[in-house]
Amino acid sequence: MSLRKRLILTTAAVLLTGLAGFAQQTFQTAVYFDYSHFITTDGYLTSNTLTNKFHFRRAYFTYENKINDRLKFRFRYDADNTANLTSVDFAKQTVKKDDKLRPFVKHLYLEWSPNFLASKVNAGMIETLAFKLAEDRWGYRSVAKTLLDGYKDITGVDVDATSADLGLSWKGILLRQLRFGLGVYNGSHYSHAETDKFKKFSGYLQLVPAAGLSLIGYVDYEKQTGDRKAMTTKVDVLFDMVRNLNISFEWFAYDSDNLLNSNGTHFKPSGWSVFGTYKIKPDKLAVFARYDRYEPNDTKADDEIGLIIAGFDWTPMHGSWKLQPNVWIYNYNDARKGDTIFNLTFFLSF
Amino acid sequence: MMNEKWIKVLVLTGLVLAVIFTPILLSAQTKMLQVKGSDTMVNLAQILAEEFMAQNPKMPIAVLGGGSGTGITGLINGTCDIANSSRDWKAKELNLAFEKGVKPRLFAVAVDGLSIIINEKNPLTKLTMEQVGAIYRGEVKNWKGVGGPDQKISLYGRQSNSGTYAFLMEHVMGNRPYSTDMKEMNGNAQIIEGVLADASAIGYVGVGYVVDKNTGKALKGLKILDISQAPNGTAYSPLDKTAVDSGQYPISRPLWMAVNGTPKDVAAAFLRYAVGPEGQKVVEREGFYTVGGRLQEQNQKNLK
Repeated sequence: MSLRKRLILTTAAVLLTGLAGFAQQTFQTAVYFDYSHFITTDGYLTSNTLTNKFHFRRAYFTYENKINDRLKFRFRYDADNTANLTSVDFAKQTVKKDDKLRPFVKHLYLEWSPNFLASKVNAGMIETLAFKLAEDRWGYRSVAKTLLDGYKDITGVDVDATSADLGLSWKGILLRQLRFGLGVYNGSHYSHAETDKFKKFSGYLQLVPAAGLSLIGYVDYEKQTGDRKAMTTKVDVLFDMVRNLNISFEWFAYDSDNLLNSNGTHFKPSGWSVFGTYKIKPDKLAVFARYDRYEPNDTKADDEIGLIIAGFDWTPMHGSWKLQPNVWIYNYNDARKGDTIFNLTFFLSF
Repeated sequence: MMNEKWIKVLVLTGLVLAVIFTPILLSAQTKMLQVKGSDTMVNLAQILAEEFMAQNPKMPIAVLGGGSGTGITGLINGTCDIANSSRDWKAKELNLAFEKGVKPRLFAVAVDGLSIIINEKNPLTKLTMEQVGAIYRGEVKNWKGVGGPDQKISLYGRQSNSGTYAFLMEHVMGNRPYSTDMKEMNGNAQIIEGVLADASAIGYVGVGYVVDKNTGKALKGLKILDISQAPNGTAYSPLDKTAVDSGQYPISRPLWMAVNGTPKDVAAAFLRYAVGPEGQKVVEREGFYTVGGRLQEQNQKNLK
């Protein structure tokens, strides 16, 4: 076990043991899995070989302890089944993988809420500032990640964006109309140890000019080895002015000196997304829809991807489980290709 | 090939819609007004709703507790129509409401004399505000420290989503944290049970929960302490309506119902009833105090 893993597990054990005597502790789990049916069989993602599957996607286990009115501790395990390397055969130069859900530490932080600018200061393995606001508005992580969060999954381009990292953040409210967030992290995500001396700096300003309307500008920057650098710029517009309806827009561009074409020229990925949800019957039934546009390489003319996601969120009995039938329709520049996938997503939380 | 694909999409979408909407249409009912929040107010709100529905059977109302924080969050997230709270909205809740386009409009439906209760075996009869604060902060741990018997104090209180928890912290404890020794109970009834069973206990509950409706006095087995604002000032009882109305009883508070924007339809009718003469009679019958003066003027203005 690596030193880093041992450190994290020891800290968690000490904190869990030490804080167990206090009253305001909560345990929560959230699990989602899909039954997917591939409607098309001739796309980049779909074929005749695999036309349907049950697919376990995520399982979270969260422990929170409100130590007092100013201090909170959170410990979250996440489990997914991607890239589970189980063994290496050195003779054959191959690796073995399986698809078991395996847990890893996603959050391990203290949150301090001083009585100053309605602040929240987080330290440890924390949520980053990059897409939390957009993700909260989208509200259907069980169906799909938001644009920047899921960009690498959809396009395969190595955009440096993560939902959690080791570091420190400070969020606060300057005025009711003006909020801010600042963060500094390793920049190596929750899944890797730090490998260089540089840290990622990030920040956002949220302007709320009218009730229910937010304009957010976000930027992050990390110097890379040599003369290289990487920077993300992002804009969100959140519209909540009509009861039970929200419509949001997200745009981002990523500029990293590490992203090079095979001929050595530099390229920049970008994308935009518009999404909305409408609560037909709050707590019972909602409808959601989204359109994403991906531009993985600004030096290529034929690589854009369009993605439509639409579906329902239905709570048939109790709020602890939901059915979220949804359709994903991919459009590529090559009109002969196209992927359409139907998912019946089961969402459980208790 | 393309047509075949889209036929499949349409058939599947149709099936899904049928699965979803059939039970919904079968169970279609008139929209029910959802009222959620303060546990101090839950019994009062339930009785107000029942009496209102007896007069207006086509206007159904569902009332749930959960704590003031839960009700306020529900109103902000659109999962309830009226949020009950036994405290003022916090700045962070007003900021979140603004961000999410919610314009809270508050109605005072009753006034509560927040009651500090002890077991009747405890000879103490009164405390100052400062003493109550020191006890709940854990600075005074023995009844001897405030003129009582030589016994360790057992603290009973509410969980942090409770408006009463927040109100006491803000108005009595100088915004300093509660002692970690406090037993955090789910509701007023559990605090009363705790104090009845524990001779060295202290608790806090809404006045409507501790008054015997037949005698107008404290429930058997409990003692309601008189509270004074200043160390040498006169101590008043929360059962003294004049003292509560005048502010001489120092820990009185309005009990609020909040809606998003100008109330309409069933919400408007229900709030008009609750703050009107009939609703206020129910408030008095349930052991709380009626709303008058400036708060009532504000209610009437907010209804328009």
